[in-house]
This record gives sequence, C-alpha cells and structure tokens, in this order.
Amino acid sequence: MKYVLYQLKKHPLAIVGIIIILFWLIAAFFGPSLVPFTHTQMDSEHQMVGPGTNGHILGTDSLGRDLLARIVYGSRSILTVALMTSIVSTIVGVLLGFSAGYFGGRIDAAFLRSMDILMAIPPLVLSMVVLGILGDSSILSLTLIVSIAFVPATARVSRGVLLTEKSQEYVSAARIRGENHLYIMFVEILPNTTGPIIVEATARFAYSIMMVASLGFLGVGMQPPTPDWGMMVIENKPIIAQAPGAVLFPALAIASLVIAISIFSDFVSKVLIHER
Amino acid sequence: MNDNILDINHLQVRFETFDGVFSAVNDVSLSLGHNESIGIIGESGCGKSTLSFAVMKYLANNASVDGSIRFKGEELLEKSEKEMEAFRGNRIAMVFQNPYSSLNPALTIGFQLDEVGIHHQKLSKQKARHATLEALGMMNIGDPQGIVRRYPHQVSGGIQQRICIAMAILCRPDLMILDEPTTALDVTTEAVILDSIKELRAKLSMSLMYISHDMGVINKVAEHVVVMYNGEIVERGPKNQIFENPTHPYTRSLINCMPRGGVVKENTKLNTIPGYVRRRGALESGCPFVDRCEKRNDTCESKYGIREVGERHFAACDRAYATDVPDILKEKLIPRPRTTSLALNSHKELLKIENLHKVYGARRKVYAVNGIDVTVHPESVIGVVGESGCGKSTTGHMVSGLYKPTKGTIMFNGTDISIAWNKRSKDTLKKIQLIFQNPGRSLNPSHTVEQIIARPMKRLANMHNATERRQRIVDMLKKVDLGKEYLEKKPKQLSGGEQQRVAIARALSISPDLIVCDEPTSALDVSVQASVLNLLNDLQLETHAAYMFISHDLNVINYLSDYIMVMYAGKICEYGKRDEVMAPPFHPYTEALLSAMPEVDPTKQKKVIEITGQLPDPAKKPKGCPFAGRCHKQVGEICEREYPPMVRLSDTHYYHCHIKAMVE
Amino acid sequence: MNRTASIIIRRLGSLLATLVIMSFIIFMLVEIMPGDVAQMILGQSATEEAVTALREARGLNDPVLQRYGRWIAGVVVGDLGDSVYMQGVAINSILWRRVGHSMVLALTAFLMFVPLSIFFGVLAGVKEKKPTDSIVSFFGLATMALPEFVSGVILISVFAVQLNWFPIVSVIPIGESLFQNLNIVVLPALSITMVMFGYISRMQRSSMIQVMNSDYVRAAILKGMPRKYVIFRHALKNALLPTITIIGMNMGWLFGGLVVVETLFGFPGMGSLLMTAIKTRDVPLIEACVLLITVIYSLSTMVTDIMYSYLNPRIRFQGGQR
Repeated sequence: MKYVLYQLKKHPLAIVGIIIILFWLIAAFFGPSLVPFTHTQMDSEHQMVGPGTNGHILGTDSLGRDLLARIVYGSRSILTVALMTSIVSTIVGVLLGFSAGYFGGRIDAAFLRSMDILMAIPPLVLSMVVLGILGDSSILSLTLIVSIAFVPATARVSRGVLLTEKSQEYVSAARIRGENHLYIMFVEILPNTTGPIIVEATARFAYSIMMVASLGFLGVGMQPPTPDWGMMVIENKPIIAQAPGAVLFPALAIASLVIAISIFSDFVSKVLIHER
Repeated sequence: MNDNILDINHLQVRFETFDGVFSAVNDVSLSLGHNESIGIIGESGCGKSTLSFAVMKYLANNASVDGSIRFKGEELLEKSEKEMEAFRGNRIAMVFQNPYSSLNPALTIGFQLDEVGIHHQKLSKQKARHATLEALGMMNIGDPQGIVRRYPHQVSGGIQQRICIAMAILCRPDLMILDEPTTALDVTTEAVILDSIKELRAKLSMSLMYISHDMGVINKVAEHVVVMYNGEIVERGPKNQIFENPTHPYTRSLINCMPRGGVVKENTKLNTIPGYVRRRGALESGCPFVDRCEKRNDTCESKYGIREVGERHFAACDRAYATDVPDILKEKLIPRPRTTSLALNSHKELLKIENLHKVYGARRKVYAVNGIDVTVHPESVIGVVGESGCGKSTTGHMVSGLYKPTKGTIMFNGTDISIAWNKRSKDTLKKIQLIFQNPGRSLNPSHTVEQIIARPMKRLANMHNATERRQRIVDMLKKVDLGKEYLEKKPKQLSGGEQQRVAIARALSISPDLIVCDEPTSALDVSVQASVLNLLNDLQLETHAAYMFISHDLNVINYLSDYIMVMYAGKICEYGKRDEVMAPPFHPYTEALLSAMPEVDPTKQKKVIEITGQLPDPAKKPKGCPFAGRCHKQVGEICEREYPPMVRLSDTHYYHCHIKAMVE
Repeated sequence: MNRTASIIIRRLGSLLATLVIMSFIIFMLVEIMPGDVAQMILGQSATEEAVTALREARGLNDPVLQRYGRWIAGVVVGDLGDSVYMQGVAINSILWRRVGHSMVLALTAFLMFVPLSIFFGVLAGVKEKKPTDSIVSFFGLATMALPEFVSGVILISVFAVQLNWFPIVSVIPIGESLFQNLNIVVLPALSITMVMFGYISRMQRSSMIQVMNSDYVRAAILKGMPRKYVIFRHALKNALLPTITIIGMNMGWLFGGLVVVETLFGFPGMGSLLMTAIKTRDVPLIEACVLLITVIYSLSTMVTDIMYSYLNPRIRFQGGQR
C-alpha cells in the first residue's frame, strides 16, 4: 500500500487517469438521471445546434437529440461490454494458456496450432465479419465475440507467465509431493502470476474499448436506438461542417476513456511487475 | 606516496530508493601501488562491486558520491563523462562476473576486440586485428584466427571470459579491475584463468583490483587484502598478515567458517556468524558488524574507527582481543567432536542404482547420465561431486522422482522406483525428500511458512489434526533454529539462510529415510553456508536419515560425506569412502579437481593441474573414457576408444581408468 | 542459411493448413447466416418456383461439404465465384483492383510509421526519464489510444474541413486510377500511422531501455567507447530485433485499421469492400475478402518471422559451442 502511494506520487499522470475512469463509471451509473433529456428525445426546434443552446450542454445531432444524454447513456453499453470482455477473455485465456503450458507436449502443440488459426484473421476483421453475419448485435453477442477474438492474445500471455513459473523449483517440490495437476496450477502457480495477468487484463480493457468503439463505428456494434459512441461518429460525420461537436464529442469520449485506461494499465504494471 | 596508481579517500556512495537513502560504500580509503595486486573480499551486498564501479565512475542515477578517487594523481570524480572515455578500457580496464552477457550477442568477437584498439590507440583495422590476435594468444586461446570470426554464443563460458580478459589487456592498462570473474565458472576452468591472470601480471606489470567472495581465490591472485562488510572496510593489510593474524571478528569468522582441507564432520563443528547482512541506512553510524558480533559491547559505537594494528595492517575493531567474553574465534578451528557417530552399515542397502541412464530431448538429444551404478547405505551421507554438466543433479532428480530414468533401475528399500513422481506411491514420496539449491525458488512465494511446512504433512503423513500439526511445525522450526514468529511469514521476508532452514524443516517434517540435497548451500554466503552445514550435520545424527549430498565444492563434500562419488560427463569416475577418495591414488580427474580447489592458507601453495579443452559434447553418444582428451595422464589411443575398466582398490573403493590396467 | 530455408518451408506448410481450416470455418459461419442466397438474388418478389429452380441450378441444395469442395476447387484455380449482390459480376473483376488500392494505402502508412516510430522510440529509450522521453511517451500513449476513426475524424476536421488541403472523402473519379489521385491516400494513411506509431514507438522505447541496461552495453561503455558509438554499434542492432516481431504482431491491428479507415474515408479498398459485402450479405464476396485478408496477413507475419531469424545470429548460427 505504501508502495502504491509512493508510485502515485512519482506518477501524477496516473491520478489523472484514475479520475477520468471514475468519472466515466459515475457517468454510466448516475449520468442518465442527471441529464435533463433522454437519449431518444428529439428536439425538432434545435437540430445540429452548438453547445449550450436551449439547455443542450453539448448541443444536438441532426435529429435534435441531446448529445450529452446520448454520450452518457452510450457509456453504459461500451463500459459493460469492455469490462465483461476483458474479464471473460482473461479467464478463458488463463484456463487455456495454463492447461496448454502446464501439460506441454501434444496438448500444447494443439493449442498453439489452434491459436495460430484463430490469429490468422486480424481480431477486428474476425469480430466484424462474425457480428455482421449474425446481425443484430447485443451486449451478450458483442462480449462473446470480442472475447473470442482476444483469447489468443490473453491465452498466449498466460501461457508465457505459466512457463516462467513452471520452471521454478517450488513446482518441482509440489510434484514430488504427489500434488495433483489442478492443485499445482491453481494453488501453487496462480497466486504468483496475478501481477502480469492483472496487467494484461487492464490492457485488454483498453483494447476492448477501442475494439467495441470501432465495431460500433462499422455499424456492427450496438444497434439503434441504443446510442453507441462509435456509431455516433459515423452517423454524424456528414454534418461535421455544420455541427463539429456531434462528431468530436463522442470521439473525445472514446479517446479520454482509452487514454485513461492505458495510463492506468501502465501504472498497474509499474506497481505490480517492477515491484522488486 | 604519489607513485600510487590508485588512491581512494573517504569514498562514500549512497543510493536513494523508495525505502530511503542507504549507503553502499561508506568512508572507504585505500591505495594501490604500481604493479600491486589487491583483493577485495566480502559477502554479497557488502559494496565491493559498487566500489569498483565508482572507480569507473559508472553509477546509477540515484547514486551520490563523495570523497576522492585519484588515478595516477588525477581526480576521477571531477572528470566529465567524455573525459572518462579516455580512461575506461584504456588506462583502467574491467572484467565482469558474467562473460556471456558482457559480450554483445549481435557482433563478432573480433569486432568487439578490434574496436578497443581502433578507438583508444587510433590503430588501423589491420593493426587492431593484429593486436587482437596477439592478446588472444596471450590468454592461451587456441585458434585465434577462427575465434575472431565467431559470435559470443558459439564459444564456451571459459573461453568467453578469457576473451573478456584479452579485451581488457589490449591497451596495456595500468589498472585492471576484475569483478568476480570466475564465480560463474567451474573450478578447473577457474584455476586455468587464475593462472593466466598471474602470467599476465608478470608480463605486463599492471596493478590489479580483484573482487571476490572467495578467500581461496583472493589468496591466489592478491598480495593485499581488503575485507569489506556492509560498505565499509573492516580490515586491510598484506595477505599473509590477514590470513595468519586476522584481527576483526568478521575477517576471522570469514576465514574460519569455510570447511576446508582436512576438516571433516567427525571432529569439527564449523564456525558460524549469526544473522545475515542487513542493508545499512545512511544515518546509521558505528560498527556495521555490531549486530552479528559476539564481542559487541557499549563501546563499539563510540570507539569505532579504523586503526593500524601492524605494519600496513589496519583493522576497525578494538575489541578483537578483549578477554571479557570467551573468544570462540581465537583458534582457527574449534574441534567439537560429534557426540555420537553413526555406525556405517555397509552391508545394508537403502538405495541401489543400476545402469542408470537419462537422455533429454527427442530430436536434439542430450546425454545427461550415461550408465551409473551405485549403492547408498542407510543412515550414511553420500557426497556426489562434479562440475556443471556432469549429471549429478539429474541423478538426484531421478532418485527423487522429478524425472523418469531413460534406462536402468533404482531400487529403494526393495521396491523398484525407476518411475516418475506421478506413478510413485505416497509412501515412497514421503520417504525420499529433496532439498533444492535455491531456497528462494523452492518455497512458494505466496504461501506462508506454516502452509509450506504443513502441506507435505497433510498430504503424505496423514496429519489432519490442525493443532497437532501446528505443534509439530513449531517443533520443526525450533530444530532449525527458527522461532514461532516465522509461522506467518512469507519467503520474501526471510533471508537466504532462513529460507533454506524452512526448506530443511519441510523436508524433515515427515521423517524421510533419504534426503537428496541438491547444492543446498551454493546460493548462500559462506557465513550462512557454515550454519546450514552444521544444521544438516546435527539433524542427520538426530534423525538417522541418509543424505545424498550433491555439490560442486569438494571441500563441502569432504566435510559432510561418509562416501564420495565423483562424476564426470554422466559417468562415475571414482567412488569410495571419504578418506579413500581424498587420498592417493586418485583417478586423474579427482586429482585435477583437488588441485584446482583454491586454498586459503597462503603458506600452502600447490601445483594446479591444468585441464584444457571442454566437456565432451553432450549431444553425442559417449564413447571411450569421457575424460580422454583433457586428461593429463592419458595413456594412449585406448582412452578415446574404449570405456575404461573398473579398478578396484578396496571393498568400497574403485575408479574407472586405463592406467592401472595397463600397468598390471 | 539452411536454417532460414527450413523455417520458410515449415511456415509455408503451416500457412497452407491454417488457410484450409480457416476457410472452412468461414464457410460454415456463412452457412448459418440468416437469409436465402437464391431469394436475395431474385429479390423479394420472386416466386417460390423460381427460387427453388435457382437453388437447384446453383447447387445450393447440395450438402455443405460438397459445396465447400466446389468452392475451394474454384479458389485453387483462381476462380473466387460471382458476387451475389452485384448481379453475378465475377469477384475477380472487382476484388483485385480494390486489393491494389489497399496495398498502396497500407504501404504508405507502413513507410511512414516504421521509420517514425523506430526513430522516436530509440530517442525516448536513450533519453530515458528525460523531458524528451516524457513527451514522446505521452504522445505515443495518446495516439495509441485513439482508434483510427477518432484520429481520422480529427484529421478530417482539421485538414479537410478547416484547412481544405485534402478531400473529406477519398473517392476516385470514374475512369481515373489511384495514382492520379494520390492526395486521397494521405489522410487515411496518417490516421493508421498514428495508432501504429503509438504501439511501436512504445515497444521500441522499452526494448531500447532494456538493451541500454544490459551487461554488454555496460561493458562497451566501460571499454571507453563514446556514447553515440555505443548506441549505434552496440545497442541499436539488438534493440531493433524485437521490433521486427512487434511490427509483425501489430499487422493485425494494421489490417483492422484498414477496414475502419477505408470505411471512414470511403476509400475504395478491400476493407470497405468487405464492409459493403457484409452489409449487403453478399456471401461469396465475404468469403473471398476474408480469405484474401487471411493470406496477406499471414504472409506478412511470416515475412517478419523469417527476417527475425535471419537477422539474429543466435538463431542463424545455432548449435552453441565449438
């Protein structure tokens, strides 16, 4: 704990990152009830207005919908999906990577082979094609598919950290004590790998936000009427000259969140991995 | 006075870390004359490397330096980074501990040597290459023309270090600093390198600063000795003075805690230093050794300071000869006979190994163990000695079940256990325990000491009653000299010695019949090593467990073993009772190994048998005598062609060699 | 040399296996896609009989494996089939031109971000913890965190809307080629460059720092070699090796970025074609695009792997001692 405070003092940027993350979490929880408009309400009097007109703090889009309400409401889906994705892909990655690395031999070869196949398509292209084919994305399908696209990466990282730990002598000691595989993997090894795994999970969180936003932008993310940050950018792009805010504010929302999480992830890795 | 190559005055190096400021080098003054050789000795963390990097003016950004370092009268601490370039590698050269990582993996060896001459002496490429070849020749490296075209990973560790030394002498420096240059190498390689360093000094007449934790190595290369403890010089003076009349309690314990020639467990208990090296805060004053010293009293802090105790001999302790406390360090070695001596039942067999083989890998094969036969008797200690790559650890690991033998049988108490851990019965697993080399890695860092010791008791000894178990753990901790307060600690909170004690407690907690000790003391400082050896010795008398003690250190093996087995390239060279193996006639390899062991007594200088060449390629199926080609007593072609027959010298003593057979 | 050759052959073999399995998975996925291809071709007003007839004629009622076999046989001889949405136009006639455009875009971006990120990464690594490092590192973090479409939008609003230097959309007028309209490449390439710059410069920085703290760099400094010389002759070669792998690993993001950027700018490339294919549920076109992306992507990671093993003397001259 003392060490965390020491590091925080040395890296004031991390505090900014944490504050931004907290801001978005609070916005997602309470935001919609604080904004005087709903995300679907159309103010036909004020379309494409700039910030501050008629109580529209950030202005409106081409249909007169309040941008702040849409951004705040949109933070819910993106945060939920990204958080769940980073958790799911990390857990699945740990399970797969640990089993492959631990047992080695043919199991490991089969694992590497299948990950190679999954990785032969860039993750964004993979999710986009699958979501596009399935159509009608929901929080569940988005989480599931983005997680699958991320599993090769998380599984490889987990396999890597397991392999470094596996060579440690406490694992040998556990073996010649006749411990079973599950005990060795999860009671002996897992507690010593939490550092790199947590770092990977926070980094995944940032990637997930980027990925979900990009998918929304490509039109295969959350479907209307649910507002989606990525989609707001593309649907308002035609009016960029008249109402730049309609494009820039959601873009800024994405940027601030991803940058904040990246800074946070950097900080976590400094604290957890370079601890000694 | 001013002919000195190096004058260090009141040097102070402090590091600022998150725990606060601590001092790595504190008020160090020393001088080094022309063509003089000084040895700096101390345990890990005593600031000896920091001192050498301070001379090079190469320290991390969080370091602050005070005092003065004069090299041939020039103040180095005032020099800019640019000005230092003219000194480094040119007037002052340095050789590091790990030759493999000190050479750039992406550049050829020739390039890395040439650039020194090109740079400092403005030589042309051809002339630089010429100088390179000459330097390599001086270090007795065969085929220098071929070596220069290679990359560092293509030559062995011993050659790499010789290349590093050749690089250091390219510009004929005035001062050469060697920072533990042979610590990572085998003793026989070490002996050869130490010899060539001596030769170089005779040829090039340069001053030497040699840093080591090993008294024996210092004895070979230095004329003056500086003993450092926790960043301070506690004693310095001419070598003979220091070795024969050590004044400071730390020096005395350091010299006396090592098991060495002639010291065996039956008649001697090793000296030890309680505690371990603590990092010292910048504001602490007084004697750094005070918390581990048996002679400490109230005046230690107030009267602290270095003073002359003999000709050119200085020490920082005025209580060295105090008589108010019994001086257990007065004698060099205190005989403390073991209370009981176990009768050796040489007819009973606890472990019987027959024709044991281990081949690693499928496509690229590594022949690690190539057919060994040996018997371990109950309640006895068998010492397995050999250099890295001789298969001694692999043998121990097969016995303890980490690996399955490729061929051959291991019988334990009449049951065949030539199978891996996952096929062994609970009882076998309980009866054979393994203690690892590196205690920091063999204890799970996220478990507490109690969990660590309790687990084998739960699993293998069916001790499910928690209070009973805890009582037994506390008893076990007490046996290894650790208190109850250790139960809740995690390995990272313990020192290396304490960690190894916990590992020993874990192994003994379920009363095994055989404990395989795989280099249990080689990761520890010498002062800690002694206490662990004492402990292992005492516990063996108490528990009557047999030990299979694996080590590269013949002195340690000699101290602790009843039987000794010498291994080379996966084969047994020689086997017998301790005194039989340690006295002539020897197998040539045993003889070379014995001669290479550094001696601490400066009056005893022995002739080193230099063995050149390298271990046989482990990727090839062995043929003939494995030691052929390097052996100083090779009888002829037969050595390379045929595996030597067993030469039996007594019921218990034999070796494999052609020599005896030829004579008869 | 021999080693490198054997690596190439092994990798090519595994690439082939990957492609076969991959294409099969894609084929199966498309199978479960809702909607009937025949219906789609004929439109909603078509009669039941017409649809059935077309299904029969196109062999859509055959078992999956048989259809997969037919498709893959076509692919092997270079026939990627016909587009459904564009009324039976041969895919070959539209795809390759688009691929060419995408390659030009990707290559432009590549030529920008590789030297830039290596240069600034090395600079930041050498000046660790100095202001230069902080600026480069923060800039890298910021650009890395901006998805292509966000940086793209920013670029558009600055350079296209405000300054009017480049077009808002990247359209090639009919009858002209991309090379007559090279200005449309600039903004898309820039937004890809930004993301990639973030990733690679950060990686380059940390590998440079690692190398600068290595024993052999310390040894070189203590040999009295000047700092610049140490950086260029000793450190750089070792610090660049991992970067090759990093670039290979990030090719995936580059390809994903292509799709996003092409969609944002309306750039006539492979990515926007795939996007259109998905939106119009044009099955054969989706399959062809994904297959091609997989091939190009796998080949590019393979090239980086081979380069790595060729440039690394530890792999090139394997077999340790003597």
